[in-house]
Amino acid sequence: MARIDISELSKDFGNVRALDGVTLSLDKGRIVGLLGPNGSGKTTLIKILNGLLVPTSGSVEINGIAPGVETKKKVAYLPDRNALPAYMTSDQLVELYSDFFYDFDAAKADAMIDDLGINRSQTMQKMSKGTKEKLQLCLVMARQADVYLLDEPIGGVDPATRDYILRTIISNYNEDGIVIISTHLISDIESVLDNVVFLKEGRVVLEGPADDIREKEGKSIDELFREVFRC
Amino acid sequence: MLGKLLKYELPAMGRKLLPLYVAWLAASILLGFGVRGFESESDLLPVLTILLYVAVTVAVFVMSIILIIQRYRTSMLGDEAYFNMVLPVSMNEHIANKGLSALIWMSISAVASFISIFLILLCSGALFDVLPDFLAGIREMIAELGPEWVLVIVEIFLLGILSSAKSILAIYAAITIGHQAKDHTTLASIGAYIGLSMAETAVGNILVQIGMIVNLGFDDFITYMMAHNFLSAQLIFLILFIVAAALVTAYFFICKYFMERKLNLN
Repeated sequence: MARIDISELSKDFGNVRALDGVTLSLDKGRIVGLLGPNGSGKTTLIKILNGLLVPTSGSVEINGIAPGVETKKKVAYLPDRNALPAYMTSDQLVELYSDFFYDFDAAKADAMIDDLGINRSQTMQKMSKGTKEKLQLCLVMARQADVYLLDEPIGGVDPATRDYILRTIISNYNEDGIVIISTHLISDIESVLDNVVFLKEGRVVLEGPADDIREKEGKSIDELFREVFRC
Repeated sequence: MLGKLLKYELPAMGRKLLPLYVAWLAASILLGFGVRGFESESDLLPVLTILLYVAVTVAVFVMSIILIIQRYRTSMLGDEAYFNMVLPVSMNEHIANKGLSALIWMSISAVASFISIFLILLCSGALFDVLPDFLAGIREMIAELGPEWVLVIVEIFLLGILSSAKSILAIYAAITIGHQAKDHTTLASIGAYIGLSMAETAVGNILVQIGMIVNLGFDDFITYMMAHNFLSAQLIFLILFIVAAALVTAYFFICKYFMERKLNLN
């Protein structure tokens, strides 16, 4: 059963505290919005969950295990940049994912790539920014992972692509898993979220089921976000 | 998983190096024929072929070193690390993959350099003039070394591999340490490399001072072997082997320590 436990997690970059005592527990079957403005600590938290950053203090566990080789078998990560080798084609990337991730469904990835009409012989470096993002998302969502960590999956793409990306997430994630979507584009994503976590200056300022928060506050998550993070 | 990593890492380097090797061998053939031009007193063409050969040779070696550095930086600490470092692969396998790939391509460079010399000699028509002297030289060396010459060749080969691995891992360790700096990671990596080299020299000097000869190069090694009895030469080889292996291990664990305990991809 997928579960994430974060306890008193802090991360410093020199004199700057990026995360400050974050404590969270997330259970399976939820799509969680990790929401906050730029610099609030969203990407830092996701990187720590992936083992790409070492925390200054506190702990993180995925299914009871600290980030490492075992958790990486179960975590699918979409970074906020193109991390795949630019000289590879989509076919080569499908083979790459098949080689390293046992939960990767190559047929599912192929179907999504065909849906998008991506040229299979074109290398990543020749693709548009939006196509690269869609291809990376196809590869990530074609895994039957316990945890999906999607860092800004809809940032910098056109509205039609945003719709495609959100549909892809909803229709492909493992329903026994957890999906964490980090973004500051709340209105586009609000409808798919089960839970929300507001991060402000490295601290959790609001957390809970999206419906409960909407009912309690009498406003949408997007409206609440604008209120909490008003400049 | 190491095999799978190598499956992708070797072509990643090869796609840039192979065209250069082809250019290198083509330049060798041109140089070989160009050298013949000297005999016909046509000056410009031979000079051009020499310049071309030198330029391509320098390019091959500079590119090899740049690629060894670039591949490690990009895929262990740069943008590609956001994919590589989330693969379910141990850090030992990641570092071994980079080191082995670099070592394999360095070995291929060495083979290519032999082919290059062969092609120059063949195309210039000098091969059959040089070959008898070369073979006579080898026969003389074998006679000096005695029946143990096969062992000597194997030992030199192994020491060459270990020394190359040590040099590669020293570069990786310097890059990994340099990446700990908040800014100017390239400068910090160069500083770390100088620091590691100084530490290596200091340790070598200490060992020399306590009576162990560790600073012998290959030429000195062979000279020493020829001048002394076989057993003392073997002792020197053993010491060199142990020192090189210890440095390989030390640099490997420096990389592993910083990548596992201090990784901060930003």
